[in-house]
Amino acid sequence: MGILQLDDLTIAYGAETVIRGLHLEVAEGELVSLLGPSGAGKTSVLKAVAGLLAPAGGDIRIDGRSVRGLPPEKRSAVMVFQKPLLFPFMNVAQNIGFGLRMLAVAPAEARERIRDIIALTRLTGLAGRRPHEISGGQQQRVALARALVLKPSILLLDEPLSSLDANLRQQMRELIQDIQAETRVSTLLVTHDQSEALMLSHRIGLLLDGRLRQVGTPHDLFHRPADRAVAEFFGGCNFLTGRLRGGLFDCELGSFPAPGVMANGHRLTATIRPEDILVGGDSGHPIPGRVRKTSFEGATTRLWVDCGAVQLVVLTPRSDLTPGQPIHLRLPAEKIRVFPPE
Amino acid sequence: MKRALLGAAVAGAVLLPFLPLALWAFSQRWFYPQLLPEQWGLRAWRYVLGTAGPQMTEALVQSVLVAAAVAVLSVAGGIPAGRLLGLYHFRGKDLLSIVLMLPIIVPPLCVAMGLHLWLLRLEMTATFAGVVLVHLSACLPYAVFVMWGVFSNYNLDFEDQARSLGASALDVVGRVMLPLIFPGIVVAALFAFLLSWSQYLSTLIIGGGKIITLPILLFALMGSGDRPVAAAVSIVFVIPALAALAVSARYLGSRRVLGVW
Repeated sequence: MGILQLDDLTIAYGAETVIRGLHLEVAEGELVSLLGPSGAGKTSVLKAVAGLLAPAGGDIRIDGRSVRGLPPEKRSAVMVFQKPLLFPFMNVAQNIGFGLRMLAVAPAEARERIRDIIALTRLTGLAGRRPHEISGGQQQRVALARALVLKPSILLLDEPLSSLDANLRQQMRELIQDIQAETRVSTLLVTHDQSEALMLSHRIGLLLDGRLRQVGTPHDLFHRPADRAVAEFFGGCNFLTGRLRGGLFDCELGSFPAPGVMANGHRLTATIRPEDILVGGDSGHPIPGRVRKTSFEGATTRLWVDCGAVQLVVLTPRSDLTPGQPIHLRLPAEKIRVFPPE
Repeated sequence: MKRALLGAAVAGAVLLPFLPLALWAFSQRWFYPQLLPEQWGLRAWRYVLGTAGPQMTEALVQSVLVAAAVAVLSVAGGIPAGRLLGLYHFRGKDLLSIVLMLPIIVPPLCVAMGLHLWLLRLEMTATFAGVVLVHLSACLPYAVFVMWGVFSNYNLDFEDQARSLGASALDVVGRVMLPLIFPGIVVAALFAFLLSWSQYLSTLIIGGGKIITLPILLFALMGSGDRPVAAAVSIVFVIPALAALAVSARYLGSRRVLGVW
């Protein structure tokens, strides 16, 4: 078992409410990310689930049972903090075995479980080392192993990659993915890094200003943002305003089919991702424009293009364009996302 | 090479003051203006360990008992007080820290005289508990300050992490907090022990000649004007203190207080 349900969860520090009415569910074996900018109260949600912080309102259910009022040690949700927090007076194996000792697991069984988890987290050979004798990445893996060895219903990960440098981050990301796939432990992960969330998660909940703005698969959030704020969070920067007429979205750059949106005559906003705009010659690229600024980003080049009164940001693999150059663009209709009226 | 030189300098600075003591303790006859004793001998030691032996042993045991009790109580009081002061902000914190410092600021004679009146009423003068209490007034503040510093660098996340891993509140104290602050505890206990060990005036006033610690005996023997004997007693007095320092030296200024985060 391993189902977590957050029901109308509200968290406040004194008079300041950081999380309002959060509804979120982590299904069995699922990895759900809570994504949001730093200081959005994401860690508070984890602490509330772990029992380290009393929520101001709402309910938390683990495996269908409310855990309100249960002390942290009685909840089968284990939190891994941003920093490894290894006990300096214990070696690696003792650190991993800490929770088992608290549960008074028989020594023989504990040894076996510690050995298995050490192999799983690729810490073989380090069991006798002290925390300060191993690297930062290894410390983070010990912290993860220390939680996993308890086979919790819910694993709570607080920015598990943020204290690592870029190289280690990639390795750790893969490790978390592999371990999660292998153990199928239901996981709630908190991060401010969109690429981390997109890569790791089955589903993402985007938290902005204390509210959950959208929940869905990484693909959903990236390609079908619910509103402008969500699109902006994922790097969307082209917003077009126009009206809906007879199933067509009419804006300064032309008319585009907008299936599924029923709001004839309303003023609406649409977005298109910079990498979805195509640059080419006249034929098939009906929108004329002039390059205002370019920025070389390696595999792609970012262009700021003036198209009449509208400015578009374009990511293109072409690197031969210079400021002042006239170009033609095409906005593929299927890539345009028209936001439903609010 | 540089390190060895530094080590020798430090060792010299610590040990050099003991050289005259050692010379006196092993001299038989030593008059001005001789640089070294004219005649060496063990008369002082025969007196200290032989004639006055039982008295010395009794005073030594008394001193160790008092200092140990003071160290334990200072740490027991210093941990909660240091935790409160180091980790939390509350109204009246400044006032509390001044009150805690008062026994150190006020001259020990005043403290001992004032407490003497109280202990007389409580009929605790000339008792072991009375002496321990008056020593605590001088030693407890230092233990509180040491633990205050320790808890200022303490990361409460360790405790949250332990709770989440299944430790009860009591487990957290015994298996996480105490091991984490252990080096600080050793230092606080050492301070309290050494301060209590060297108390003379307060022991004399409150102990009323009934509680004979080493310093009381030392002063009595020094008053008699027999320098070799006084020197021998001084050495006996210093050795346990040096031993306590040596045992806890590896925790002084230790980085292991900090842990990993």
